[in-house]
Amino acid sequence: MKVAYYSPLPPDRSGIADYSALLLPELERLVEVNVARPRLSLPKRADVALYHVGNDPWAHGWIVEALRRRPGLVVLHDFVVHHLVAGMTLGRGDGEGYLGAMEREEGPVGRMLAHGVIDGLVSPLWETAPERFPLVREILNLASGVVVHSRYVERRVDEYGFLRPVWRIPHPAFEPPPRLTPDPELSGRPFVVGCFGNVTPSKRIPQLVAAFDRVRRKVPGSLLVLAGPVAPRFELAPMFEGLGLELGRDVLQLDYVDENRLWSLIAGSDVCVNLRWPTMGETSGAAIRALGVGRPLIVSDVGWFGELPDDVVAKVPPDAREVDLLAALLERLASDEAMRNALGAAARDYVAMEHDLRRVAKLYVAALEETAGGWFVREALLREVAVAAADVQLDASDPELSQVAEAIRETGVVK
Amino acid sequence: MRIAVCAPAVPFVHGGAEILAETLVDELRARDHETELVTIPFKWYPEARVLSQALLWRLLDLSEADGRPIDRVIATKFPAYVVRHPNKVVWLLHQFRQAYDYDRTELGQFGEDPFDRATVQAVHRLDRAVLGEARAVFATSENVAARLEDSIGLRAEVLPHPPQRLDYRCDGYGDFVLSVGRLDIAKRVDLLLEAMALGDPSIRAVVVGEGPDRDRLEEVARDQQLDGRVTFAGRVGSDELADLYARCLAVFYAPRDEDFGMVPFEAFLAQKPVITTRDAGGPLEIVADRRNGLVCEPAAEAVATAVSWLSIHRDEAKAWGRAGRQAALGVTWDAAIERLLSA
Repeated sequence: MKVAYYSPLPPDRSGIADYSALLLPELERLVEVNVARPRLSLPKRADVALYHVGNDPWAHGWIVEALRRRPGLVVLHDFVVHHLVAGMTLGRGDGEGYLGAMEREEGPVGRMLAHGVIDGLVSPLWETAPERFPLVREILNLASGVVVHSRYVERRVDEYGFLRPVWRIPHPAFEPPPRLTPDPELSGRPFVVGCFGNVTPSKRIPQLVAAFDRVRRKVPGSLLVLAGPVAPRFELAPMFEGLGLELGRDVLQLDYVDENRLWSLIAGSDVCVNLRWPTMGETSGAAIRALGVGRPLIVSDVGWFGELPDDVVAKVPPDAREVDLLAALLERLASDEAMRNALGAAARDYVAMEHDLRRVAKLYVAALEETAGGWFVREALLREVAVAAADVQLDASDPELSQVAEAIRETGVVK
Repeated sequence: MRIAVCAPAVPFVHGGAEILAETLVDELRARDHETELVTIPFKWYPEARVLSQALLWRLLDLSEADGRPIDRVIATKFPAYVVRHPNKVVWLLHQFRQAYDYDRTELGQFGEDPFDRATVQAVHRLDRAVLGEARAVFATSENVAARLEDSIGLRAEVLPHPPQRLDYRCDGYGDFVLSVGRLDIAKRVDLLLEAMALGDPSIRAVVVGEGPDRDRLEEVARDQQLDGRVTFAGRVGSDELADLYARCLAVFYAPRDEDFGMVPFEAFLAQKPVITTRDAGGPLEIVADRRNGLVCEPAAEAVATAVSWLSIHRDEAKAWGRAGRQAALGVTWDAAIERLLSA
């Protein structure tokens, strides 16, 4: 089987580029893959196309355009793609496109809100309330099937009335470097809390910083590591100053770090924290990395993060008690080595079992094979049943045929 | 209890699976259970047929018969286990192997085009649904259980099936090696034939069974100039089979990654050692090298060496056959039926 593969890839710096770099070699062992590149000629004739769709218009706009030309299997890395749609419409001077997208999502009210955004009367919705307007409908309409990473997104897709097949496939585990050594910059600290990936408000950075401030008072010399590009207009300095936190002494803030440095920072962290609210339905490569090398991990009790088993991660609901609970958990983990070890061991086992790369690649092949040929199988089966029914003069309205339909549904042969 | 034993049938073909189903019916009846064998012919080609033939089983209503409830259904293999029943128990001989471990091998039937690949995936989905709904799933060997778990993540309890009832006895250790089983390419009877050409010319082979590979095997025997040293006995009756077991030197049974196979237990009940190969799968759960048989490489030279060794070490052949008998006696219909009905 030949697969046309659409995804950002390194040197692009994104979680989805890393994801594809990880998945592709394993997938290529099982099926023939032609990787598409932006602005280059389309891949050679393929049985099925696989589109990785995320929320970044620069990384994924060309992929959506390809999807418009040819339907295929869509990997929905984010359920909320408002930023993508805004970039592909307003970002290209196509106000009507944005109006249409908002109208498809929310009807006339959506269109009016979009007018407000265009006229500057309403703050950009992709910044203020993207989760209220996911704008995923066009993607779903074009998809022959959808791959999701969580039950949360599976449920959201179902709520959209999506009737074509959905596969839930875990994020594959990254392979750590053969010799994993803690980053020397973290040595000598009594307690290190690591937070990795893009630094954005939805990562609950203010809440994390506030909780860390309490911990460092009880465990002097503790260090908070924030490693990842900071979102535009997201000011960290006033937050640190307000709590008396000093860069270098209390906080190590780094921009984008390469893969080796990322691993060494994770290895040097006593606890990793990966909070999220609102969630766009995403998973986290940083969280998978931390779990894979047995780092204790604290996550928000939402979306994919909330679906991680309770014995594998510690969870904090994003509510009024978030900072209190997070601080209490960090304090407990700082003093309880046995708890850190137990969480770490469970995390490592869980990732080895659930997120095994070879298993993930096989699940992708199953989804691709069904997308490519499922329709033909369904048609052949139904044709055979129809011919037999016609031979014995059964009419479409006869209850016997309802029983046949029920039997087909029960056995799952038609997805 | 009223029990329906469900097993597919391939018209004009009779092998271990059919014997198991028939024997199960007999054994249940012997224990005063009202039992019927329910079969539907199964044709698995062309590829599109696989699913529609499986669907036939789903359309059966085995909840009751003639106004009286059927208490339990015991299904043995694909696609019989597609049947719907609230008390469905599966005693799994094997899944549809063309969609699993045979896929993309010389024993497979599905190609690389989208239709074929999607059919394979549909079989997997079907198995997840209809095996997942069963009250209990037993596998006839650890090999079958492991394949099931690897493929669809379902764990089955291992419940070996006892051999068919025959007048098992040992009348000595004669001058022939016996092969019993359906003649298809996966059973690798050609290994024995090629070994005959390489080994002691005083030892013969008797091949019992019918199947699509018979013509090719007879040609192999001719090519190897085994005139008079190989007998293709075809399908034989119970008395003749018991007699062959009773008189042979040893039994050869070396399919590739076999599910389980009744033959080793039958050989053991006749106190005969079994020659098998390291890649035989299920038989390796029963045959222990130099304890109740010989486990050799899957090569004609190695099989020839094993046959020759047994022909000149008759005391070991006897001792290993007797050791095998002790193991086989522990696998009883009483135990199997108690598990099948108590699940």
